[in-house]
Amino acid sequence: MQKSIPLLMIVPSLLMAMAIIGYPILDLAWTSSQEVSRFGKLTGFAGWENFAEVFGDQLFWDSLWRTGIWTFFVVVGTLAVSLPVAIILNDDFYGRGLARVIIMLPWSVSLTMTAVVWRWALNGRAGLLNATLMDIGIIDQPVEWLATASTAFVVEILVGILVSIPFTTTILLGGLSAMPQDTYEAAMVDGASGWHQFRYITLPLMKPFINIAIVLNVIYVFNSLPIIWVMTEGGPANGTDILVTYLYKLAFRFGQLGKAAAISLIMFGVLLVFTLLYVALVSRGEEDAAPEDEKEA
Amino acid sequence: MTNPFRTSTAALALGLGMLASGAYAETVVDFTVAEYSSKTGPYFQKVADDFTAANPDIKINIEVVPWDTLLQRLTTDVAGGNAPDISIIGTRWLLDFASQGVAEPVDGYLTPEFKDSFIGTFMNPGIIDGKMMGLPVAASARAMMVNMDIYDKAGVAPPTTWDELYAASKKIAELPDVYAFGLQGKEIETDAYFYYNLWTHGGDILNADGTSGLDSEAAITSAKLYKQMIDEGLTQPSPTNYTREDVFNMFKQGQLATIFTFPMLIPQIKEEAPNLHYKILPFPEAGAKATYGVTDTLMMFSDSDVKEAAWKFIEFAYQDKYREEFDLGEGFLPVTKNVAALDHFTSDPDVAGFAAGLPYAKFAPVIANWEEIADVTVRTLQQIYLGDVTPEDGLKAAAAEINKIRGL
Repeated sequence: MQKSIPLLMIVPSLLMAMAIIGYPILDLAWTSSQEVSRFGKLTGFAGWENFAEVFGDQLFWDSLWRTGIWTFFVVVGTLAVSLPVAIILNDDFYGRGLARVIIMLPWSVSLTMTAVVWRWALNGRAGLLNATLMDIGIIDQPVEWLATASTAFVVEILVGILVSIPFTTTILLGGLSAMPQDTYEAAMVDGASGWHQFRYITLPLMKPFINIAIVLNVIYVFNSLPIIWVMTEGGPANGTDILVTYLYKLAFRFGQLGKAAAISLIMFGVLLVFTLLYVALVSRGEEDAAPEDEKEA
Repeated sequence: MTNPFRTSTAALALGLGMLASGAYAETVVDFTVAEYSSKTGPYFQKVADDFTAANPDIKINIEVVPWDTLLQRLTTDVAGGNAPDISIIGTRWLLDFASQGVAEPVDGYLTPEFKDSFIGTFMNPGIIDGKMMGLPVAASARAMMVNMDIYDKAGVAPPTTWDELYAASKKIAELPDVYAFGLQGKEIETDAYFYYNLWTHGGDILNADGTSGLDSEAAITSAKLYKQMIDEGLTQPSPTNYTREDVFNMFKQGQLATIFTFPMLIPQIKEEAPNLHYKILPFPEAGAKATYGVTDTLMMFSDSDVKEAAWKFIEFAYQDKYREEFDLGEGFLPVTKNVAALDHFTSDPDVAGFAAGLPYAKFAPVIANWEEIADVTVRTLQQIYLGDVTPEDGLKAAAAEINKIRGL
């Protein structure tokens, strides 16, 4: 009885959350099994037809592959930059407050605006980036960054990393400031170098925070439309399309809402599977690592 | 400098105003307006205010939406049951709206006198299955624009044929800091920039039997020509990074000798680059004359509860004085006979240059899935411009894909 009271107390909010999260998903699943007119009217049962069409579409598979690349590199790149940044910002130095503000600042600008600014900056003739690079002599001809898919996609990943840094740094800073200082003092007494402290104290203790940063970033980045949409609309020649930009075109340009619903359901499934797998992997890893007596508690 | 008294008066007035509007049985007409320029919103608001002043029981609720998001906006509005009563749309979307029963035929409302005030050419694209599904609200035709300073400097005359354009571009390419031909390769209307070329080579978007004309001899010739001009440095580098606006901006800055453009660029040039010596000329030819006629349509929604009031507003808004202000302000070609007869539209060389092509203008085909077909075309053109596929292979594949979309 005692144990069930807390459970009972969260039941109402749990139900509400399930309704709010669950209803759109059910509606989406329903839509994806229907023939849908250009204006969202359901015109008949389609069964698996929408899915069959999606799976038979080469652009879908290309976009799926590119979504994987996009998500992997943005998330890994973000972590690789954010962790050192967070460690530096955690140290006490003159002007730290200002440095923290500067790192956080991009967060306050909407993604779309950031993307618009980069689109201008990357303009071949009039862009600031080419002008700067030519001034300091790195290139002598303007580079059309967004003209080919290969350079455009790399640039978009870099911008994706840039805009993900503030959020990730915040999570990691939170973890670092909760770190027990006496462990470091003990390690220093034992003669551990800076790298050893990082490798054997910081990194293991930061693991839960890094994990949450990975999961949340994967979800955000996987679903992120504005950067790619504003900079190239998935072009040239669909070479930078990820699932969400392709989905947007299908739904709002071509009016294929059924097919678009099927893709968003697939995207939801991919993310769900990833999150479950990742959480399972992480918790198993933690159990293996935990000493016996801790397991008891 | 906030005056508390003034603020409270304003609040009081607002409150009274709301009371007042509650007291009358007021009809509200929701009108979604496509944003052509920064002048569009204020212009339609003024017309609406004038209308309400004359008809106090009808209020026009104007909502200005940018072109880029208009179709998405209307799609979600219709799907959510919140469709406006009237809206400006691209005529290329009209078939989708009409075939889904979203558009209301206007034949029943259109009096013979009102109908007769329009120029016939612009009425035709709005007729679907013999029914008039909307009224032309804006029209433009396309033409070639050349920078005379650059042409004079290179010592060549503006071209009338593609061979001449190519030869002149070769000469111009030798000049420093300028490019001969502005080629669009990114985003909206990348396909149109190719159709100009295709049509003047005698090809067409669709063959007579409805199949795609992209694998025709004319299409391959014109794609090869563009590709050759890219490879030989006659266009600005990397066209796939240049939208229509990017190309037009380069022209305004005097960096391009030749572009294909629309009349709306003229007011922009007059304002931003008044010293540019430009000339409007017909597209170069290679066996055929052509221009691209584009109209936008004022459409009434079949779900509307206030069709009578909406129509009253439409008739009001089509008065000559409003049409004149609209066409002049936005740089459109007139769609009504009376405005077309005005001095400005008959004597101005720029307008005349664009209007000259109207007798042989081509319109985008009124077919289902047009946006998807355009997307296939744009993707293929980008692949060709980038050198990922040859014009023959690319266009053959594109034609096959379009035929599949068309169910042929």
